[in-house]
Amino acid sequence: MNLQKTIGFPRMQKEVGEKRVFLPEFIQYLTTLNVSVYLEEGYGSRSGFSFDDYHQGNNAVHMCSRVEAFQQDVVIVLRSPLREEFSLLKRGSCLVSMLHFPTRSMRVQILKDLEIKAISLDSIVNDQNIRLVENMKAVAWNGLEAAFDVLEKGWPGLVRPDKEPIQALIFGTGMVGKHAGDAATKLGNIERNNQHIQDGGPGALAISVGRNVSSTPTLLEKLFRQSDILVDASQRRDPTKPLLPNEWLSWLPEHAVIADLAVDPYTLDANPCVVRGIEGIPQGNLDKYIFQPNDPDWDDTVPQGIPSKYRRTVVSCYSWPGIHPEACMHHYAIQLEPLMKTLIDKGYDNLSVNGDYFERALNRATLKTWLQTTPSPRQMRR
Amino acid sequence: MDSLEPVFNNQLKFGLTRMHYEAGERRDFLPDFIARLQHSGAQILLEDGYGSGMGYSEQDYLRSASSIRFGSAEDVFLQDYVLVLRCPPEEQIRLMQPGACLISMLHFPTRPQRVELLRSLGLEAVALDSIRDDSGRRLVENLRAVAWNGIEAAFDVLAKIYPAPGFESPDRPLIRVTLLGAGAVGMQVVQAAARYGNVALHRRLAEKGIPGVQVTTLEYDSTRHERVMRPILEATDILVDATQRPDPTRPVIANSWVGWLPEHAVLLDLSVDPYDCLANPPFVKGIEGIPQGNLDQYKFSPDDPVYQKMPACFDTTHRRHAVSCYSWPGIYPNACMEVYGRQIMPILRNILERDGLQNIRPNGRYFERAISRARLSHLTTE
Repeated sequence: MNLQKTIGFPRMQKEVGEKRVFLPEFIQYLTTLNVSVYLEEGYGSRSGFSFDDYHQGNNAVHMCSRVEAFQQDVVIVLRSPLREEFSLLKRGSCLVSMLHFPTRSMRVQILKDLEIKAISLDSIVNDQNIRLVENMKAVAWNGLEAAFDVLEKGWPGLVRPDKEPIQALIFGTGMVGKHAGDAATKLGNIERNNQHIQDGGPGALAISVGRNVSSTPTLLEKLFRQSDILVDASQRRDPTKPLLPNEWLSWLPEHAVIADLAVDPYTLDANPCVVRGIEGIPQGNLDKYIFQPNDPDWDDTVPQGIPSKYRRTVVSCYSWPGIHPEACMHHYAIQLEPLMKTLIDKGYDNLSVNGDYFERALNRATLKTWLQTTPSPRQMRR
Repeated sequence: MDSLEPVFNNQLKFGLTRMHYEAGERRDFLPDFIARLQHSGAQILLEDGYGSGMGYSEQDYLRSASSIRFGSAEDVFLQDYVLVLRCPPEEQIRLMQPGACLISMLHFPTRPQRVELLRSLGLEAVALDSIRDDSGRRLVENLRAVAWNGIEAAFDVLAKIYPAPGFESPDRPLIRVTLLGAGAVGMQVVQAAARYGNVALHRRLAEKGIPGVQVTTLEYDSTRHERVMRPILEATDILVDATQRPDPTRPVIANSWVGWLPEHAVLLDLSVDPYDCLANPPFVKGIEGIPQGNLDQYKFSPDDPVYQKMPACFDTTHRRHAVSCYSWPGIYPNACMEVYGRQIMPILRNILERDGLQNIRPNGRYFERAISRARLSHLTTE
């Protein structure tokens, strides 16, 4: 069955540094599924792609206005559209995006009210509950690469003055934390690491700790004092409390770099409120992700009243994978291709929990499944 | 459960044989898997006694899949497709008919003699360990179980021999796990070790306020420096080998370095590289001098009689408690086969839907491409 005939690709109107767009090969692949593709004018231009790069003489690829891109049967955009942009979608159309249903109740309500058939990319999981569309490796590697870049400015070749290995202290042993350990032992960059090995460098140690260590300050102080990089890759059970209070940062050496991979925002007006895992550090984006202790922008994302007296250089980015946009989108395209074929073949309404591997995965990520399986706030209060 | 009846007419004949290795190797595919395989259209012959090592009777399988039959191992090897997790011995492979297909963990890259044998017999084969998606990710693997089962066994030993004030004392320091290798297995180790390889134990110790675990990960650039390694090893409680060495003739930790470890330290072998004294120079394990275990025995004390039988081409002078197992996932056979069953079923379903491996297209759908990468007939040998 082929219910969806057109796919729209609006541009992501985010920070200037957000250059990620789906690549021409992915657009060409979609046309093999017997659909027409509509790209917003200028799509990919920040990454140097012209419409001709996407068109490639293929009559199924069209250029259109922003509104028209939102008006297609299926709309694909990596980061969620803004709240006011949802009304550009036509009723009954299918939106495919990172929609984060569990933490965005307002967004869910809007999509429901507008009768949008939404599929949240971050909710597509296989039978083992493993995400099929994710780039956590890039979160860890790009964040650690940025942190080592900062250190390298003071220590050429990443060799400490005492010739001892660099030490990275990592909070969190989940998927991002695991990749962070891998990235830290390779100096955040394979090429740099190979050169380091060739030069006889002492390398780096990744010290990972879990929850029952991170709540014990007496154990942590010694680890902090010997750390060159502090990594937050934690997933807190209680986001209303910081994992590391600001005063603990005073234990870090002055040269230490804090790598923020968790990128939880400050949302003090939400109920319950959410605070950052490491207290008092700023949140960056693709335009700016390095903050020196004396940075004038430090307080822009740290609300008043949050302790931030103790500061070290911070690398933080809301979209770490976007640091290397082409590699990121190549990665996502590989993950999305079989899913898109299933979506186009079956159509949103026919996705079933009893379908094949990819159909089941897609079905788990639909708004209809989310609404069926998640209790309403009223039910939760009961 | 209800019996699932076959839905296809042109049935491919599948034989599932038992693994005749050490007594502790009890794994066979579960009745639910067999039911699904039958439902997908396979005609199935199970070896007599299939599943008995895990406590399943023939009736258990027949209740799930009424059309299956039981027969001798010889008959099983006469089927079109022979499915067995670990590669069968040569004499059994020789029972197969030319053109038949062996589906198993075949490890083509490191078993050139096996490849030669299969080719000489005119057999097709699918190496489960070579089935990879478009991004190179293995689709049939249980590295999580390798890490968690190995770590659990290591902590089990450590808890018994840990010096005063004792493993469960709130006054003991952090347990220090030193991890060699940050690859796919190593990443799983970080999470497993932070939880003692046992979630219930982790929760219990955390509730009692007992200090947790610190995991230090090292890569090649650090492990080659004696100056770096000595202080780390002197403070290690569990040393984990999760390396993938390019040169198996050189250990990462020479036996003389094992002598630097505390007397209570536990050596954990997750790489399970074999010793080969016939090779020139001889192949040696990553941690020199530790025994090779299997499912019958995987814990070794320093005075274990096994040391008397070990060949003399490597040094065993310095010993600590060691845990090593050729098949770590097999420690928990049911859980292991549930994981493998879920991963393998879409592979077999695609073969059945295409009416045989010969119709699987290298440029076909997702699983067809993945299967094609693992076929013996598509293997290029330099």
